[in-house]
Amino acid sequence: MLTYLVRRVLLVFPTLFVISLIMYGLLALKPGDPIDEMRRGNPGFTQEDYLRLRKFYGLDRPWYVRYWRWLGQAIQGNFGPSRQFGRPAAAYILQYRLPNTLLLSGLSLLLAFLVSIPAGVISALRQHTLLDYVVTVFNFVGVSLPIFWLGIMLIYIFAVVLHGFLPAGGFATPGLSGTWPVFWDHIRHLILPVAALSSLQLAQWTRFMRSSMLEVIHLDYITTARAKGLPERLITYRHALRNAILPLITLVGLNVPLLFSGAILTETVFNWPGMGRAIFDAILVNDFNIAMVSLMFISLLVILFTLLADVAYAIADPRIRYD
Amino acid sequence: MQREAQSYSYWGFAWRRFKRHRLAMFGAAVMILLILGAIAAPILTPYEFSRQNRKVRFSGPSFSVPTDPALVGQCIRPRVLLWPCGAHPFGTDDLGRDILARVLQGGRVSLLVGFVAAIFSTLLGGAIGALAGYWGRAPDAVISRFIEIMLSIPQLPLLLIFVGLLANPQVRFAAALSDFLGDAKSIAVIVVVIIAFSWMSTARLVRGQILSLREREFVEAARAVGAPSWRIVFRHLLPNATAVMIVQATLMTGEAILIESGLSFLGLGIQAPAVSWGNMLSRAQEFLYYPNGVYIAFFPGLFIFLTVLCANFVGDGLRDALDPRHHGRI
Repeated sequence: MLTYLVRRVLLVFPTLFVISLIMYGLLALKPGDPIDEMRRGNPGFTQEDYLRLRKFYGLDRPWYVRYWRWLGQAIQGNFGPSRQFGRPAAAYILQYRLPNTLLLSGLSLLLAFLVSIPAGVISALRQHTLLDYVVTVFNFVGVSLPIFWLGIMLIYIFAVVLHGFLPAGGFATPGLSGTWPVFWDHIRHLILPVAALSSLQLAQWTRFMRSSMLEVIHLDYITTARAKGLPERLITYRHALRNAILPLITLVGLNVPLLFSGAILTETVFNWPGMGRAIFDAILVNDFNIAMVSLMFISLLVILFTLLADVAYAIADPRIRYD
Repeated sequence: MQREAQSYSYWGFAWRRFKRHRLAMFGAAVMILLILGAIAAPILTPYEFSRQNRKVRFSGPSFSVPTDPALVGQCIRPRVLLWPCGAHPFGTDDLGRDILARVLQGGRVSLLVGFVAAIFSTLLGGAIGALAGYWGRAPDAVISRFIEIMLSIPQLPLLLIFVGLLANPQVRFAAALSDFLGDAKSIAVIVVVIIAFSWMSTARLVRGQILSLREREFVEAARAVGAPSWRIVFRHLLPNATAVMIVQATLMTGEAILIESGLSFLGLGIQAPAVSWGNMLSRAQEFLYYPNGVYIAFFPGLFIFLTVLCANFVGDGLRDALDPRHHGRI
């Protein structure tokens, strides 16, 4: 088990290396470089300036040379300056974008988790009743709804029809002071994006919980417990639920990184300043450093959470042996 | 004389089980309607999807045209009336184009992308998964590792980069593609990119199936008569995995449509003037408040939702119908 862990952890670095190589190569294929942006904004830019700046920033070397230099710096933690924001890329992302995305994705994950477990369990216990069918239809709906459309409709209902009951987007209302109003304002800005982002995961996890619970209920040891005369509640919560929840935890772990990269649609609709938007904007304006930092961070999260999910499952289920 | 008991083939049983699934039958029916509507798009409305008409900009859907015909064409808040009237059942957008016509035309593109991407991604994934499962050991390890790496890369940003690259007219390859394909280029790019990113899940499923089928007697028998490997994989093993692949293809249709509309919504998918449901949604965002045109956003999204919902219903029904280990009754 330990050797498996060590092997998996050691594999993280080559995987990150390959991913960064692919990303950098693809970004470099895009015509136009950061200096084009400068040129566009400044009519006094001459060709001489252009060549001089290219040499200065090292943009006249071929992409693999640039990649190597980037890698050398990146390993030391220096991801370079962001041309868009005029500060170190890593610091900007970590300070301004990451917390927002963490807040949004974390809350929707929590919401999906907290709602899907009881919904799935109740749906499984009362299979074939009206409640079960309603939950099943809701699941289908949640899985099929395009998140951006749901976001737009929510904005329309709550911000337009209800005349600004909830804000139409953005992160905060400017000009507020005092801890309580600011806190409450943040909550108001979070409600709709979290609702939209969590819809898909909620539906998927409820379905998964339901089928996992259904599988467990029909197993022999549950029948034995019932035959022994255990109260039904004890059977449900202590025996069935504990075992049914394990596959869900693995699924949640594997899906966590999806929330980060998938949030880009929600962040665009609600104008939420998060990492997904940062990647998108950076790719469009050729701000390589921001794009690479964010991409590397998300890839790291994906790999870490996959590993964590596997380990958690191995710990929780003693029958699993990795060698 | 007793009548012989009617015997069913595997597919016959599957069809019977599918028929019992009410949601799946409903989904299949609506899907067929949508496909027919998309195919017949040009003849279903008197308005062409790209025809702009400044006089009727922002007219709401039929059921909301006000009783005073003089008000049609101004920026009005739609009011719900009880009878349909007016010439545009779904209203017009900010340039006066009929939304029903655009929705049907966008349906052509979105449905085409969905089906083609799903079918080819399933075929590709199935072939790779089958080969990985059959060969086993070293090649399997390589392919599985490759699949894992591909799944660790954050997909949406990579999709964005790829499509952004291929849509950029300054990239030489993209320009050559434009010359070659013309207007269909953005569709082709989207389809290829979606296939390139979705074959993995099918590959994993099929690989699992093949791994369990590999040790069966019919494989041993085929080997004994000297069948070459490729024949065993493609003629004997894969056909037994078709159930899994059919279900995957159906579910993948919905996913492909969602991916395509998401990319078009962000501006990187189907480019204007071609219409796609996601395309319509991205422009509709501006018209929620002051020129109140919520129906410009409502209808395309509704159709995306309906299509994916039906694909999911049908996929679920197929999964129940084709899985011989199903717990329920026949």
